[in-house]
Amino acid sequence: MSSFWPLLRKEIRALFSSPIAYVLIAVFLLVMGFSFAATLFLTKDATLIQMFFQASVLFLLIVPVITMRLFAEERRNGTLELLLTSPVRELEIVLAKYLASLSVIVAMLAPTLTYAVILVLYSNPDLGPVYSGYVGLLLLASGLLAVGLAVSAFTANQIVAATVSLGIFLALWMVDSLGSLLPDPFDQIVLNASLLAHFTPFATGALYLSDLGFFLALTLLGLFLSVRALERR
Amino acid sequence: MTPVVSVDALTKRYGPRLAVDAVSFDVGRNEVLGLLGPNGSGKSTILRILTGYLRPTAGTARIAGFDVAKSGLDARRCVGYVPEDIPLYPTMEVGEFLQFMGQLKGLAGAGLRRAVDDAVERMSLSSVRSLLIAKLSRGFRQRVAIAQALLASPVLLVLDEPTNGLDPRQIIEIREMIRTLAQSHSVLVTSHILGEIEKVAHRAAILLDGRLLSVESLDPMGEQARLRVCVQGSSAQQAQQIIASQPGVTGVRQEADGTPGHFTFILKLPRPELAAGIVTALVSSGFGVSEVAAASTDLEARFLQITTGKGSV
Repeated sequence: MSSFWPLLRKEIRALFSSPIAYVLIAVFLLVMGFSFAATLFLTKDATLIQMFFQASVLFLLIVPVITMRLFAEERRNGTLELLLTSPVRELEIVLAKYLASLSVIVAMLAPTLTYAVILVLYSNPDLGPVYSGYVGLLLLASGLLAVGLAVSAFTANQIVAATVSLGIFLALWMVDSLGSLLPDPFDQIVLNASLLAHFTPFATGALYLSDLGFFLALTLLGLFLSVRALERR
Repeated sequence: MTPVVSVDALTKRYGPRLAVDAVSFDVGRNEVLGLLGPNGSGKSTILRILTGYLRPTAGTARIAGFDVAKSGLDARRCVGYVPEDIPLYPTMEVGEFLQFMGQLKGLAGAGLRRAVDDAVERMSLSSVRSLLIAKLSRGFRQRVAIAQALLASPVLLVLDEPTNGLDPRQIIEIREMIRTLAQSHSVLVTSHILGEIEKVAHRAAILLDGRLLSVESLDPMGEQARLRVCVQGSSAQQAQQIIASQPGVTGVRQEADGTPGHFTFILKLPRPELAAGIVTALVSSGFGVSEVAAASTDLEARFLQITTGKGSV
């Protein structure tokens, strides 16, 4: 794995040297700040549950913008040929891109911790849902990033990559509303594929291994498909 | 001696299209092999298989004994590759890019610094080392691409159309560079320009529609000028004797398709200026000279003969 660290440094630099990351972070924090303040003043509840749900919906829109360029741009510029003809494993390339894009999400979420600090300073919030909410957001982002990365690895067109990723995310988000219309056991199968159904317990302070396993499995599936896409040449 | 590159019945299909059709060849140590063929003949596909970017459909390719399909990582450690379109990271500085590529090739610490310094010096990149790659001319970008290929001292350098898009001065520089590199590396170079291959390669593999038609050993006298002289007179034999007796002429042959009283000769000279003496000698012996022009090379003639099916392979 000697090539992993230079690859990771290169990816982080590429993401943070373009204005895209900063614009995304700024827009995210603006929406989150407004949402936090409005919820706090309107409900007077010391909770971040509303913010977690809004962040999760924003992730559905933001993650395709982060992942669309990761492989598609390298493929279009020809630099993917440079990487794949170097003595580097496909897994190292995929992990470097995945972790670099996760760092954007971390940079996005880190300033929102001040909301929790504000609640602690001026109230007595239940910290359990705060911890589990952040864990849930990170797991959700992890799964979305891995899937977005895989889509990017299969195409040279950034717009196609973003659109397909967004389509998959929205379908997985809304699939539970379709599930209730289906007969047994299909309703359970469809419900188990729902991002919302697996994220809701995290946002409300409940931690289930099945939800944890779902997001980890989604992440591993995305990373596996990304590696397979690179090997298919 | 074991060849550095050993390709056996290499085949690549893109769906129904056969891009490379059972191609076999070897490249020896410190040998320059030119892959020659028109666009779409399979040259770049062969290079991409050898460098591990594409997987072969059938057949084997070995570099320094490592199978590119089964031991890809080991095989790739033995290769320095310069792709045709010179893909580089435009937002990186030259030195930073070379350091990054060196790290990917497994170099670190003092060894990495030494390798980068050495590549910068060999490719004369000192003046642009701290410049962004986006600001470089195509010639310098080509040098940077070759410099990254030289890091980690690979046994094989693979250059895909290295003179594409360069101006005449840069073409001469790259040509000289390849000759120098061949002293310490085996080189596999592609071009669709016959003259380029003839000037740098020891052998040329001629490809057409994915098939290897012939591997030609190139004339070591290929650097000599080749002239085509059209003569009018009564005796072709006498004219040939006069030409052959002139100082500097190392070879002369008559072209077969002359008309009565008109003869065409192809001759080799160390310098084209010597043609003036030949014309004077022919005219003073009563012959007329209607044309003196640069002739096509041996490889050109052979290439046309093979690819148009006029000759046996």
